[in-house]
Amino acid sequence: MSQQRRLTGPKKYVAVVLAVLFILLIWQAAAWSLPDFLMPGIPTVLERMQAAVQEAQFREGLLGSMSRLGSGYSFALLFGIGFGLVGGVLFFFREILRSAIVILQSIPSIAWVPLFLIVMGFGNLPIIVVVALAAFFPMALSVMNATESVQPVHVSAARVMGASRWQLLRRVYLPAVMPELITGAQLAFGNAWRALISAEMLIGFGQGLGRSLAYSGEIADMTGVMMNILVIAILATLIDQVVLEKFKQRVLRYQYV
Amino acid sequence: MQLRFEEVGKHFGQLEVIKGFSGEFAQGELVALVGPSGCGKSTLLHLVAGLEKPSAGKVLADGRPISGPHPSRTLVFQEHALYPWLSLQANVAMALELQGVSRQEAFELAQGWLERVNLKGFEDYYPHQVSGGMRQRTALARAFIAKPEVLLLDEPFGALDALTRMALQDVLRELIEEHQPTVLLVTHDVDEALYLADHVLVFSARPAKVLQTFNFTHCEKSHDLSEFAAERREILRLLGIKTEVAHP
Repeated sequence: MSQQRRLTGPKKYVAVVLAVLFILLIWQAAAWSLPDFLMPGIPTVLERMQAAVQEAQFREGLLGSMSRLGSGYSFALLFGIGFGLVGGVLFFFREILRSAIVILQSIPSIAWVPLFLIVMGFGNLPIIVVVALAAFFPMALSVMNATESVQPVHVSAARVMGASRWQLLRRVYLPAVMPELITGAQLAFGNAWRALISAEMLIGFGQGLGRSLAYSGEIADMTGVMMNILVIAILATLIDQVVLEKFKQRVLRYQYV
Repeated sequence: MQLRFEEVGKHFGQLEVIKGFSGEFAQGELVALVGPSGCGKSTLLHLVAGLEKPSAGKVLADGRPISGPHPSRTLVFQEHALYPWLSLQANVAMALELQGVSRQEAFELAQGWLERVNLKGFEDYYPHQVSGGMRQRTALARAFIAKPEVLLLDEPFGALDALTRMALQDVLRELIEEHQPTVLLVTHDVDEALYLADHVLVFSARPAKVLQTFNFTHCEKSHDLSEFAAERREILRLLGIKTEVAHP
């Protein structure tokens, strides 16, 4: 390996901490310069959060949001990876899929809500489908593009060793696309998360995070608004930077040695 | 395994790569194919490996037409054919795992083979952590572990420095003497061909045709190839390389 281009260890943590401090500073500065009922300060919001976490209703809402995210996101991962791999190998299918994705991706996922709401009815399902849709496109695209650029010599070598089609997918294509697959999964998570919150705000089902945020806004409870935004930011960061990042370092261990 | 080419032709679209190639190679022979770049030597190997199908004629292994890849005919590539996400041991073991050998058994055998090519202690290294020579040793272990009857070498040491290359030629020679596969070796290195091969086939530019065949069966050889100076000069001349000082 040539020069180390990644920041690792303590330096990286310092950078993250500085970024967090910077965001909090801007928030607190806004709170100092605006009246309290418009922009509550950090301590007030933290107090509210502590209280909310102890309420059963809030916890249930949170759990509902997470399960909708989980179902939609894992559905998108599964199909994104599947379609991406198959699309990368069969190149006629690939062009069809790519064109379809390019067209469909230009539609903001939230724009589907009225349609799904009427077709599927008021409930979990339309939110899950919107989340899955939002996450599927980046997932399938990145896996497909990566599959396309798998080195021919890696494929030939496995064929020479007698690999079946399934073994080729499982033992060559899948590990070869893993770096892009994980990047795609992180991108897809961002999309899924945004879709989840906006769909919940719009549909207003199940007391989830989005619903709770929208409701706080409706009754002009700014502490509630900021508290929900804070929870949204904390959860997303935890999932992306801790869960997905750890998974990445584990699966791509060979890149880090 | 005996190999036979009957009037084999191959073209990719308009590009004619091989035209009317015939030849027969007996079990255990080592045949070197030398010729200008892009003349279709590698394509011949791919035909034998079953990665490509001939456009005309037949390629027979022990009298049967080759219909696709089979572990009994294996190919060693120039470089970058190891899987970067697998350790050296896992790379070697994969050749067996793809044939249904259990992971544990494959790993045990792979360890033995790595030891055989002097890579004991490097089992858990990844390909990018070791030198080019060590990667090709691993590639050789991965090829031999499946006990191939035909070994196809596509410029296996082309990317290595001269000293490493000679050391690896010795490793390869020992392995071939132990296991007696039929070997087709594509190389740009005339000395490599002279040192390793029983027969050297010199090819013309595309479409590939054999210009001349040199036989060295039953020759004792060392890296000092001075006794083959005449053949060496002739091969180089056929390849269009100047071997004499021009006198004014």
